[in-house]
Amino acid sequence: MRRALEALALPLSVIAIWEVLAAAGALPRYVSRPSAIGAELWQLARSGDIVEHAAVSLYRSMTGLLIGALSGIVLGLLSGAIRPVAIFFDPLVAFTNPVPKIAILPVLIVWFGITDTSKIVLIAITTFYPCFLAAYAGVRQVQPAWIWAARNMGARADQVFLKVLVPAAMPHVVGGLRIALALAFILMFASEAIGTAHRAGLGFLVIFAESGGRFDLMLSAIATIGLLGFAADRLLLVAARRVLRWQPEVFRA
Amino acid sequence: MIVEVERVSKEFVRGEQRVRAVDDVSLSVGQGEFVTMVGPSGCGKSTLLHLLGGFLEASSGTMRVAGNVVSRPGPDRGMMFQDLALFPWRTVSGNVGWALEVQGRPARERDEIAERYLQLVGLRSFKNAYPHELSGGMKQRVALARLLAFDPAVLLMDEPFGSLDAQTRELMQEELQRIWSETRKTVLFVTHDIDEAVYLGDRVIVFTARPGRIKADIQVDLPRPRPIEVKKSTAFFDHRNHVWDLLRDEVLRARAEESA
Repeated sequence: MRRALEALALPLSVIAIWEVLAAAGALPRYVSRPSAIGAELWQLARSGDIVEHAAVSLYRSMTGLLIGALSGIVLGLLSGAIRPVAIFFDPLVAFTNPVPKIAILPVLIVWFGITDTSKIVLIAITTFYPCFLAAYAGVRQVQPAWIWAARNMGARADQVFLKVLVPAAMPHVVGGLRIALALAFILMFASEAIGTAHRAGLGFLVIFAESGGRFDLMLSAIATIGLLGFAADRLLLVAARRVLRWQPEVFRA
Repeated sequence: MIVEVERVSKEFVRGEQRVRAVDDVSLSVGQGEFVTMVGPSGCGKSTLLHLLGGFLEASSGTMRVAGNVVSRPGPDRGMMFQDLALFPWRTVSGNVGWALEVQGRPARERDEIAERYLQLVGLRSFKNAYPHELSGGMKQRVALARLLAFDPAVLLMDEPFGSLDAQTRELMQEELQRIWSETRKTVLFVTHDIDEAVYLGDRVIVFTARPGRIKADIQVDLPRPRPIEVKKSTAFFDHRNHVWDLLRDEVLRARAEESA
């Protein structure tokens, strides 16, 4: 409880100062008052509008993340363990990793149109990289003594992989997932801001409200993205703590 | 003879250089014998253990354990590593039962066996702890229980107590002796501690400086069981001094070579 209060102290005081300044007319018109944003959010929540936009956005980002993270982790783990797989994927990943993934959105739009698919594919491609790299590094950094010990105890190669390399790489994988999660939200917003087919999604709402001069609505949508991102990261951390409960507290994500 | 090493050599290639770590070593160990190996650091005694474990391939010579030629790692030769190599993501009991799990034995049986060996090393109440929650001496005992649980014919121990403080180390030596007398495993034990080698061993094998050859093979005829007080006896002292004199020349030679 005390910790929760301490953690909330800074954001709450920022909001309070913001409110006071806005009430005194010291802020430009496009920075709506927190109370106005709150009222708008409440209104949007009650009418269900924001829930619909959030659901569409979450569907796009989480589907993309699921595909990207799963394929990245599996291929990263396999590349770490099996040399021929690494020889195939490592140069490919190293070469394409520096390309800003948002730059391929036009290509995807030509391919899939302004659809959910082009957004999901973009998010999947983007989140693939941090997951692949983290899983790969995780396996490469496994202590050789663990592998020796496993082989000494009669483990087959597949058992060494599943019972040593995979669990030992988990701390790295969790780190990669956190980065991927943040990227999923960034790319979700960017791709929705560039264009959506059926006028849905939080990114669309932000741009739509901005062009209409509805700054309270715009900031409400931004706040919702922030809240969802925060909640998703916390959920991931809770799950990670369960999976990594074998680690000393200080090393935990 | 359960362990037969015949004219085994091992060379490592480091860049342009060839380094001979083990040179023409022959050694036989009988069933249930406790053999300790001492030598100056870098003399290849650990390398010999890794060769027997099947982790390295000999450049020449053959090794047999229980009649089978050693070619790769296997659970007939249980290795206790210098840094123990416990799996940090497994509980104590998960570590001890790991080898049995790999063999596909049912969970019930695994837990029973793990429990039995944790009892033997006095750690039953810690079966659900994770390795990072244990002290150095407790981790050693978990590693020993893990080793005994898959019932290898030969135990290969590579300076297992090297990282312990002096008091814990003595306790572990006494404990290992007690456990050994209960299980009567064949043990090859590498150490750089002469007291430890004499206290634990039926035989002490002294290695030369690199390239490692066997310089002497000394029978330790101290009666068993050996309480820790044995270390104060004159018989222990005589053995100890004997090994020390043999080793001294080698340590000096190794040092001269390093600074040359």
